[in-house]
Amino acid sequence: MRPDVILRYIGMVLVMLGAFMLLSAAVSLLYKDAAVLPLAYSGVITLLFGMFPMVFVPASPKITSNEGLLIVVAGWLLSCLFGALPYIFWGHEFTFTNAWFESVSGFTTTGSSILTEIESLPHGLLLWRASTHWIGGLGILIFVLSVLPAMGVAGMVLFRIELSPLARDNFRQSMRETSRILLYVYGGLTLAETIALVAVGMNLFDAVTHSFATIATGGFSPRNASIGAYDSPAIEGVIMLFMLLSGVHFGLLFSTLIQRRGPFWKSVVFRYYVTAILIGVVVVTIALGGQADNAWIDSVRHGAFQVISLGTSTGFATADSSVWPPLAQIMLMFFALQCACAGSTSGGIKADRFVLFGKGIWKQIRHARHPRAIIPLRVDGKAVDDQALAAAMLYIGLYATIVISGGLLLMVLGLDPLSAFSGTIATTGNVGPGLGTVGSFENFAGVPGPGKWILTGTMLLGRLEIYGLIMLLMPSVWRRLATPARQEFQRVVLASRR
Amino acid sequence: MRLRLKILSGFLILALMLSLAGAWSIYELKSSSFAVEDLLSENYKSINAGKTMIEALEREDSAVLLLMLGRRQEGRSILASADSLFLKGFEVASHNETILGEDAFIEAIRTDYDAYKTIWEKPIMDTEREGNLGWYFETTHGAFADAKASVNALVALNDQMMFETASAMRQGADRAVMPGIVAIVAALVFSLMFSYFVNLHMVSPVVRITDGVKGFLHEHKDFDVRVEARDELSELADSIRNLIAHARVAKEQGGMDQ
Repeated sequence: MRPDVILRYIGMVLVMLGAFMLLSAAVSLLYKDAAVLPLAYSGVITLLFGMFPMVFVPASPKITSNEGLLIVVAGWLLSCLFGALPYIFWGHEFTFTNAWFESVSGFTTTGSSILTEIESLPHGLLLWRASTHWIGGLGILIFVLSVLPAMGVAGMVLFRIELSPLARDNFRQSMRETSRILLYVYGGLTLAETIALVAVGMNLFDAVTHSFATIATGGFSPRNASIGAYDSPAIEGVIMLFMLLSGVHFGLLFSTLIQRRGPFWKSVVFRYYVTAILIGVVVVTIALGGQADNAWIDSVRHGAFQVISLGTSTGFATADSSVWPPLAQIMLMFFALQCACAGSTSGGIKADRFVLFGKGIWKQIRHARHPRAIIPLRVDGKAVDDQALAAAMLYIGLYATIVISGGLLLMVLGLDPLSAFSGTIATTGNVGPGLGTVGSFENFAGVPGPGKWILTGTMLLGRLEIYGLIMLLMPSVWRRLATPARQEFQRVVLASRR
Repeated sequence: MRLRLKILSGFLILALMLSLAGAWSIYELKSSSFAVEDLLSENYKSINAGKTMIEALEREDSAVLLLMLGRRQEGRSILASADSLFLKGFEVASHNETILGEDAFIEAIRTDYDAYKTIWEKPIMDTEREGNLGWYFETTHGAFADAKASVNALVALNDQMMFETASAMRQGADRAVMPGIVAIVAALVFSLMFSYFVNLHMVSPVVRITDGVKGFLHEHKDFDVRVEARDELSELADSIRNLIAHARVAKEQGGMDQ
């Protein structure tokens, strides 16, 4: 592996982050708030670090898969690290651990926060917080690939690694075209939601930050009480619609809405996604309807919002679900585990794997009845091989292992079981709020320091679909990375001795 | 990019990072020093004025008691000097309104003090008020307590503001330190990265070119050194390659001539 080439590509990511930081600093300047210097200095440092490798390292259009993997994973980690700089410089509630937590939560579109008083943050910092969602929502590298000029084979390698394997199915176009489609759908949805929110009475700044958070299925709100602060059914309606759309495969959205290639309903995953959410809304509404002081209309309103919010891994809130009946909470946790479709900005196990899981079980049942029959497993008319099915099952198993281990570790650190497990489910699925002390109207400030590091680990595992981060921890990858540098060093040392 | 520019850019970036951090730290420290100045000139002045007013009020209260005991001269003299002291303190406080809503506190002091003063300005001796403790507790003491409470509220407001300013100063100090810490860490990482790039893209090509030339001279090997970057080193490698090619041609021609 070539560390200098890897640094050059990561540099591109940092340049983009630096540009967003400077944009936030400009907004800070516009609002005459106190975050100008923290944002501007962070932007300059990030830009300088990003640009420097480009000065030395010539462009390399070809990279290996291992280099690509390292660029993607290290790109995410360094984005989170540099993204924490504005928080570190701002100070107040942001210790290094808290700044790292907020940054990772932003980029992974989790939306969990350590902030107790969000509204006291300056506008520039709030915009940066929302921007981390928007950059991370599409996938940092895909965002860069969509914006920057063609990068040839290297771009294809990075694109393949960054895009979830499940997400590639609905794209029939080339890498370059696909990244363009993603950016158009992403940008289009963001613009449409901003206009819709302004039209229903939200101010422009809040509309932009909420749109960034909705389309990225993030969940950071500039208000302490999240969407509940507005107490407006119209605003909730707009946000629910865009949360639902953001949970659909972007390729499917593009082919249905722009290319008019047939209805959403043709996709079995979309059918499952919508049906599951509808059932969830009905169950949660019934569970809430039995509560005193909870009129049916409120039950539908808050039930639907919460189910869609968690079912798309967004994490906005209009009500405190920590005090809801157990049935409603169990339903919400199911959606926090499942989340929406692959190819969207959503996190979690994904509806696609649940469809495969269900079809796999059905196949086994049929196989038990007809042991000699060859029963193909099909999704949208396409045969799915056993390896893909096994990969999906393995992923679900690994995901469950991470959730259980994370929950147990948090319990060891002193969290109650409900908060520990719901917190881990919410962060691994990049959903945001859990239940108990980390509920929708609470925050993660009370989680002990080591607990915050565990949760940021689960956020990154969830966002990078587990394997990416695990591969980075393997010694063989580091050995391969060190080899050329070591060889080069030995060459120079030996030469100087001659 | 040329070698000189590459090296220069490394040092420039390092200098820019450190100087910006230094400038920001100086700015934050300067802001903190202004905050200390404000703290002393604004809040402390009002707190001091408040203490003066309280002292004056207490002396007036004692003077009223003296008048009730029939000590006219002593009582009136103390009242006059205490009133003058109170008005002096009030003058300072009313001209030092620096906190949002402080004017309401000043107005409350004015109203309460006027009400209190109206009571003791009227004759006390040779009236039914002389020696009348009931009148004192029902009328005078209540008005005195109200005026004192208003002054105390002003002092508390300034105390609170002082605490908040001190907290902000602490934040400012933290902020002044943070760019320095980050700049030091960033400079260290940057220096490592810089030296790695210098080694990989400058020292290493020079070593390879030297090895290539030695290989040609001593072992008649082909000069096969490629430098990826488009800078003076790649030009040097190309020139040496051309030179060696020319030398070979010249040598072959020399051989043929012989």
